[in-house]
Amino acid sequence: MREVTYRDALREAMAEEMRRDSTVFVMGEEVGYYQGAYKVTRGLLEEFGAARVVDTPIAEAGFAGVGVGAAMTGLRPIIEFMTWNFSLVAFDQIVNNAAKMYQMSAGQFRVPIVFRGPNATAKQVGAQHSHAVEPFYTNVPGLHVVYPSTARDAKGLLKTAIRSDDPVVFLEGETLYGLKGELPDEAEDETIPFGKARIAREGKHVTVVTWGRPYWTVMELAKQYAKEGIELEVIDPRTLRPLDHETIVESVKKTNRCVVVHEHWSFGGPGAEIVDRVQREAFDYLDAPVLRASNLDIPMPYAAHLEQKVIVDAARIRETIQKVLYARGENHG
Amino acid sequence: MAEIVGLPKLSPTMEEGTLARWAKKEGDEIAMDDLIAEVETDKATMEWRAFDKGVLLKILVAEGTTLAPDTPVAIIGQKGEDIAALLEKLGAGAAKASPPAKASPPAEASPPAEASPPAEASPPAEASPPAEEPVPASPAAQAVTRDAPAEASVSKPTRTADGRVMASPLVRRMAREHDFDLSDVAGSGPHGRIIKRDLDAALAAPKPTATTSARAGRQPPVEQPLSQMRKTIARRLTESKQSVPHFYLTIDVDAEALHQARIRVNAELEAAGEKVSVNDFLLKAVALALRKVPTANASFAGDRILLHQNVDLSVAVAVPDGLLTPVVRDADRKSVLEIGKEVRELAGRAKNKKLKPEEMTGGTFSVSNLGMFGIEEFSAVINPPEGAILAVGAVREVPVVKGGAIVVGRAMKMTLSCDHRVIDGAVGATFLAALKKLLESPILMLV
Repeated sequence: MREVTYRDALREAMAEEMRRDSTVFVMGEEVGYYQGAYKVTRGLLEEFGAARVVDTPIAEAGFAGVGVGAAMTGLRPIIEFMTWNFSLVAFDQIVNNAAKMYQMSAGQFRVPIVFRGPNATAKQVGAQHSHAVEPFYTNVPGLHVVYPSTARDAKGLLKTAIRSDDPVVFLEGETLYGLKGELPDEAEDETIPFGKARIAREGKHVTVVTWGRPYWTVMELAKQYAKEGIELEVIDPRTLRPLDHETIVESVKKTNRCVVVHEHWSFGGPGAEIVDRVQREAFDYLDAPVLRASNLDIPMPYAAHLEQKVIVDAARIRETIQKVLYARGENHG
Repeated sequence: MAEIVGLPKLSPTMEEGTLARWAKKEGDEIAMDDLIAEVETDKATMEWRAFDKGVLLKILVAEGTTLAPDTPVAIIGQKGEDIAALLEKLGAGAAKASPPAKASPPAEASPPAEASPPAEASPPAEASPPAEEPVPASPAAQAVTRDAPAEASVSKPTRTADGRVMASPLVRRMAREHDFDLSDVAGSGPHGRIIKRDLDAALAAPKPTATTSARAGRQPPVEQPLSQMRKTIARRLTESKQSVPHFYLTIDVDAEALHQARIRVNAELEAAGEKVSVNDFLLKAVALALRKVPTANASFAGDRILLHQNVDLSVAVAVPDGLLTPVVRDADRKSVLEIGKEVRELAGRAKNKKLKPEEMTGGTFSVSNLGMFGIEEFSAVINPPEGAILAVGAVREVPVVKGGAIVVGRAMKMTLSCDHRVIDGAVGATFLAALKKLLESPILMLV
C-alpha cells in the first residue's frame, strides 16, 4: 500500500489502461501540453504522444461527438470535460448519441466511451460553474454514472469505466483531487466493479448514504457521533447508476433509519431515488422517515458567505441525523 | 324499492358519528321530515330527519356504534318488501358497502336516499363575525373549546383525533410479530408517533397478570371508549397547551359592591320573576373591559394578529361528558339581564347537546367560572384561536378592615391565561385592572 492523491490515482488508471490497450486515448481541452486543467493528465502526452493525448479547441459538443464516433469504430476514448458544467453544451451527444446508439442501432454499435471531469461545487465559481450534474445523467438509461469519493475508488472505478463497453459518465469531486488515500501497488491491477456500494464505516444506529465531498464531512461527523455513543453506518454507493440498493436496504434493515447526504439539488436525482428504494424495500423496517441533507435548492450564489450557506455542511447533516434519531440537543435514541 | 341507507354526513367536518339513538323502530312508517335517529358528531348531537317517506325495514347498527359517513345503517323501503337480497349484498361487501345511489327512485316508494341534513343542522351561517374572523382551519376544531381547569392529562397521545394509532412502520411490524396491541403504548416521536424505543419499553414492561392484580386486591381500570366530545377536548387542549405560550395573571377583586348591586337589582326584578347572577355581571364587565382594552380581544393568526371588533364571549358550560363553550355574541352591547337570559338558555341546550355548531364557534374571549364549586382560584387553558381566557373563582367572605374595625367583606379571585404571542403582560394587566374597576364600581357599567 502507498499514499496517492485522488488526482494521481486517476492519472494512474488512465496511464495503466493506455499501456494495456492501445485503443484507449484521451481527448479534451488542455489535456496535453498544459498537462490538464487540474493536472489529472500530467505526463500522459510525454508517454503516449499527441496521437493518443489530443488537445481540442473549446468545443465540447464537437469533441464529445468525435469521441462517440471514435467509440463506434472500436476505439476507447476518454473525453475530459474541463468541468462537468461544460458538458451541458455536449448534453445532446451524451444523452442522445452515446446513451442511445446501442439500442437504436439494434446492437450494431457499442459506445465504449468515458466522459470524465470535475463535478460539483468548488469555491466561488458562480452559479453556472457549480453544478452537481449527477441528477441530469443518472436519469438516462444507457449511461453508467460513477462517482468515486476516495483515491482508491477513483482508480479502480476509472479502470472499470475504461474497460466498459458502454458509455460511462465519470464524476470526480472537484475539491477531492488533492485528497490522499491508500492505493494497492500498480502491479495488482485493482478494478472495482460497478453496482457495488462500499460500507465505509459500520454502525448500528443510522445508515447514512453519501458520496463526493459530503462523504468526507459525514466520515468526520461519524467520529464525533461515536464519542456520543452513536454509530453511523456510512455507505458510499460508488456508482449511482447502477445503484447498489441491496447494500443500502440491508443496512437500513439493521439500523431502521436512513439519511441521504448529497451536493446535488434536492428535487429528484439519485438522492431521491435512494429514498424511494429504501421506503419501498425496507418499509417495514423504518422507525423514522428517510430524510436528506443537500445543497439548498437555489442557483449557487457567488458571494462566499452565501455560498457557504448553500453548500451542505456538517451542521445541516447533523441536524438531519438528529431528526431521524428522534434526538434533540443532548438526548438521543 | 328498498334501499340501503348510509349514515348521513350531518356537519361539514363530520368524519365519524355515533348513532346515539334510533327514533324509529323496525317496521315504523317514516314520513317526510320525521326524526329517524340522533347522531352524535364531533360537534353536537344532530337530528337525522327523513328526506322522503317510507318504512324502516331494517336497522343495521346498534345504538352507540361509531361509524364513518355513508356506512350502511338501515334499509328503508316499502312495507312488506323482501330485503333478503340487500342483506346478502351487505354481507358480501360488508366492509365497503356503498352508500345508496341517489338516482331517482320512484317517488312513492323512494326511501330517504342519503338523507341530507335537516335545515336546522345545515352548515353554520355566520353570526356577526369580527371584521376579519379568525376562522380556524376547520369549524370542527372549534367545537368543544373550553378546558377543564386542571390540565386534562392526555393518556394516549399516540392516537389522532380520528382514533388512528400513529406508529412507525417498524413498530407496526414488530407489533404484528409480538401480537401486541399498540393502542396502549405512549409514543415519544413527533405528533406522538410510537417509535421503536417506545415499543421496546412497552414490551419490556412486566405485564400485569390476573393473578398479580388479584393478589394485590386491585382491579384493572374500566376502559371507557372516548366520546366524540372527549376526543375533541383531548385534541384541542393538547394542541393549545403544546403550541400556545401561556402565561397567567391573577387579581383579587373586592366583590362587596357587586354583591350589593346584585341584591338591589334582583329585588327590582323579583316582581317580573327574573334575576341575575354574579356571573352575568361578570360577563358584562368582561365585555366592557375588552372594549376599553381592545388589544386583549385579539387572536394570533400565524403571520398576523387579528384584533376583533366584536366582543363575543365563549362561556364554559359543564355538560355530562365534557364541556362546551356556547358564545354570547356582542356581549358588550347587551344588558346584564339579557346576557343572563342568553347564557341560561344556551347552557340548557348545551346540556341537552342541542347547540348548533355555529353557536359554539367564533368566540373572541373565554370565561370559565368554577366559583359555584367553591374553587378559590384556578388557571384555565386557552381556547384557540382565542387569545385569552378568564378563570373566575368563588366570591368568598374575607375579613376587611373598615374604619379601624374588622368587618366581613367579599372578595373574588380571577386568573387570566394569555397567549403571549398576542397579549403581553402589561396588556393583560391593564385589562384586569379595567375589569377590577368595573366590578368594584358596578355603576361604571352604565357609562
